[in-house]
Amino acid sequence: MRTADQLIADIVRSSRISSHKRRQELLRELATHVDDFVLLARQAGRGDEEIQRLLVANFGDPQQIAQQFAWVYRRERIMLHLSVFLISTLVVTTVVSAAVMSMQAGMALGFGVPLLSVLGSRHSLIEALDILATVAAYMGLISLEKLFDRRPLARALAVLAASSAVLVAAFAATGMATQFLIFGSVNAVFLRTVQVCLSRSAARLGVVFAGFGVLGVIFFHPPASAVPSALARIAASWMLMAAAYQAMTHLAARVDAALLNRFQRL
Amino acid sequence: MEIDRELLKGSITLLLLNLLSRGEMYGYEILQAAAVRSAHAFEFKEGTLYPALHQLEKKGHIKAQWRTGDNGRERKYYSLTSKGRKAAQQYQRQWTHLTGAVNAVLESK
Repeated sequence: MRTADQLIADIVRSSRISSHKRRQELLRELATHVDDFVLLARQAGRGDEEIQRLLVANFGDPQQIAQQFAWVYRRERIMLHLSVFLISTLVVTTVVSAAVMSMQAGMALGFGVPLLSVLGSRHSLIEALDILATVAAYMGLISLEKLFDRRPLARALAVLAASSAVLVAAFAATGMATQFLIFGSVNAVFLRTVQVCLSRSAARLGVVFAGFGVLGVIFFHPPASAVPSALARIAASWMLMAAAYQAMTHLAARVDAALLNRFQRL
Repeated sequence: MEIDRELLKGSITLLLLNLLSRGEMYGYEILQAAAVRSAHAFEFKEGTLYPALHQLEKKGHIKAQWRTGDNGRERKYYSLTSKGRKAAQQYQRQWTHLTGAVNAVLESK
């Protein structure tokens, strides 16, 4: 039999109230209700077991009550996830971009290519936009998943697909480039699906490397005259991207959890 | 007589605002007052009271304060705000109008 304490804990846990302080206060408020009920029932001469049974029966379905609380505090929850999404995107994009640029600078030095021609090129700008779009879409997926109780990934994917389509249409209408938005969305969906579907790190890494290998073959058609060193540089660049994006998924999860935890305690 | 949940849902805001217009109360006290004043017609599931109270608090119709009651126990007391007082009067007018209209239909030949 479910006890009153379990009942209250279930309600508060399932209420999805963002603020830790508010959850604690609700727990305290419901506990005082239970105390009042128990006190009056004892005064009426009822036994402990009967009191617990009556209390649970009179209180109502905990899931239904929790859903009502979730509805009441929906705006705070959305604001919290939106704030976490924006800050996480900024932090993770900065870290990943800095890491990728540093590694590319290292590679450029290794291959004897002038540093400025690599970091100051249009290619670097495109890469930075690709990283921003991927991180934003990936963080968006993580945040959206938390808003849905049932089939979170499928629903988050549906919302992301719809949002990306609107963004791509808006960018295209104003004559702006859309490739990085499409790349970011597809890449984020691929990385998140791998993350959710595969539990072993080695398997995830293998699939991500294979995925980026396929992308490399699709997007890069080496001319017959291409020198082996150029091919090696391109291959190394794609593998570097795969490693960076896989590392991004770990960093994103940690930054998201840390920010969520911090904000919930504000 | 047990009242249909859908019928009760529409009246709970008015009921809570009206009860709190008589003075501040804590959750359990509100339930007891509702049951006594309605001759036990209003005996809804106790847990559903709190989301309704929190919703009214968010709307600014009521405010809450933790304090120690006469019996030395600490409880969360709810009281009406001036916005809530106006809302209570407005809801009451709407309710009187609605029930009058419904009764007119029910009693018509």
